[in-house]
Amino acid sequence: MFEGLLSFGHAIAAFASPVNLLWAFGSCFVGVVIGALPGLTATMGLALMTTLTIKMPSSQALLVLVCTYVGAIYGGSRSAILLNIPGTPAPAAACLDGYALARKGLAGRAMGIATSGSVLGTLIGMFFLALFTPVLGNFALRFGAYEFFWLAVFGVVISGNLTGKDPLKGWIAGFAGLFIAGIGQESVHAFERFTFGNRDLAGGISLVPALVGAFGFAELLVVMKERRGTVKVNPFDSVIPRIADVVAHWRTILRSGVIGTFMGVVPGVGEDTAAWTSYAAAKRASKEKEAFGKGSVDGLMAAETGDNACVPGAVIPVLTLAVPGSAPAAVLLAAMLIHGVRPGPMIMVENPQFVYEVVAMMLFATLGILFYGLTLTKLLVQILRVPYQVIVPIIFVLTVVGAFAIAARLFDVWTMLAFGLIGFALRTYGYPMAPLVLGIVLGDLLEKNLRRGLILSDGSLEPFFTRPISAFMVAVIAIVVLARFRWFRAAMARLAALLPWRRAA
Amino acid sequence: MSIESSPDDRPSPRADLVSAVVWMALGGAIVYGSWTMDRLEHLGATVYTAPGLVPGALGAVIFALGALLGVRAVRQGALTPAGVSAVAADTAGRRRMGLALALMLVYAAGMLGHGVPFWLATFAFVAVFVAVFEYPMRKERGQVARGLFMAVLYGAATTFLVTVVFEQVFYVRLP
Repeated sequence: MFEGLLSFGHAIAAFASPVNLLWAFGSCFVGVVIGALPGLTATMGLALMTTLTIKMPSSQALLVLVCTYVGAIYGGSRSAILLNIPGTPAPAAACLDGYALARKGLAGRAMGIATSGSVLGTLIGMFFLALFTPVLGNFALRFGAYEFFWLAVFGVVISGNLTGKDPLKGWIAGFAGLFIAGIGQESVHAFERFTFGNRDLAGGISLVPALVGAFGFAELLVVMKERRGTVKVNPFDSVIPRIADVVAHWRTILRSGVIGTFMGVVPGVGEDTAAWTSYAAAKRASKEKEAFGKGSVDGLMAAETGDNACVPGAVIPVLTLAVPGSAPAAVLLAAMLIHGVRPGPMIMVENPQFVYEVVAMMLFATLGILFYGLTLTKLLVQILRVPYQVIVPIIFVLTVVGAFAIAARLFDVWTMLAFGLIGFALRTYGYPMAPLVLGIVLGDLLEKNLRRGLILSDGSLEPFFTRPISAFMVAVIAIVVLARFRWFRAAMARLAALLPWRRAA
Repeated sequence: MSIESSPDDRPSPRADLVSAVVWMALGGAIVYGSWTMDRLEHLGATVYTAPGLVPGALGAVIFALGALLGVRAVRQGALTPAGVSAVAADTAGRRRMGLALALMLVYAAGMLGHGVPFWLATFAFVAVFVAVFEYPMRKERGQVARGLFMAVLYGAATTFLVTVVFEQVFYVRLP
């Protein structure tokens, strides 16, 4: 415990230089702006910033990325309240009550609630990040090839199930991602698969250009397709958070913080699900259910606390299992690998200090959003008024340069373009992007551990189903999939009706 | 047997059927490619280390899920006239997106790496993009010349800032 606190103190001291603070606040600003601009997501911002920070020292680069991530999730609430358009999918829940408050002339108060919810949500998530990462890291040491194989399947299935509106399409996107990860030389014999003789493809699909394409380029095409007129911004009063709002809703803040963090830990689920789940829980617990959607402070506080608590939550599995908790966390994982950090079960053995460095980065990011929450609104309103025909080409130039920057080869630019077009087509047909990204990230984990497991068991599938942790994961995967079938739910309902206490009732 | 999806904002059953066919074709092609892939037995590879094992299994899953999606789409009326989306296509939006896509591809795939200097390609791309998409609004307000001037200004500023920031701050090589 004290060792952890000491490490945390060391990490804060290491980052507390003027240069690092400048990077932290600068990247938080970039994150808030990206998050506030409708159509541009945190994942896109992170993918872009990963390419820009490729030459920076690793700790500084990751500080920039964490601050961008937290800033982007927070920034989305600004446009949700001022324009009724969530800047990112995460604060969609905040639109309901945030915009309703704005229409009552309370936009400033709504932004203050969003700031306090986001700051406290990140702090709660940060607390759990510091507390549970070592515990989960030690537990993950029990994982072998069989468990890691199921973990990859689990991530794709859960992500497909909970993100997007159609789980079947989510699963297809996830398995397509797993396949894409296998293109190029395989790990055992360096045999080239599905490269069609292309030498550049032999090294595999580079993750970051693919992400920049799927999130950056594809999002720009969506933005250009959608008609966006002149932005009409609600007038706003004082944006300073009120202590009374925090004190009156402390239960909601705590509950949403815990829910948000937990949703973050579940692989591939992400901030938007965390926000909606927190919102739904707050509504269930509230005595004023009818106020939800009509400007409820409780609802806005729940949504904003939930989605920001999800950020540190999503980093927990990144650090302990090398499995991302959300789509932006997948980019963060890729960035860690690029910068030579090896997240995974061995992190608490090999590099425990890094865990506390990430917690310290979250703290700087929290200070950043608090600072911008109090000061940035008028500038942000001006940025929101910049027409899209000006923003889009500039961001496209950044995506091209960013994709090229990874390895200074044009093939990565073409990869970015190809994945942008694929991403756009998939969105058009209603396929979610998060499972696809998660699939690309987890593909290597799945393949290595399936083959390793089969070699260890001499071809027997038994250990994949009989080891306790594996068996548990198989059961969860089966229930998640089967619960989507009506006949299964009907059968479960019939079975539940036979229970003695239900019959008595 | 069907997997439910929430009804709002869904593509039409016909669109789902089309994408299901694409996934089945892709899954089938992956299975075929994996099955016919060299099994490297001469290098001592077993069935568990054969390169085609994992992609083949994933191809089979993609094929099966695609088939499930196809069956669901047919049950929802993909083959009936009602299965086509009644929502009018946003032709203006598509035109705008198509034009943007064309300009982006000309810049990223046509100019960069084909002898055009980065600064010139970037300046031309940003200036033309802004000028083209602002033209209707500028014309309506009688500010065409001002619009062109602003487009050139945006192009020059972007080129200058990107070049300086990337090369001097982030030490990144430009295409």
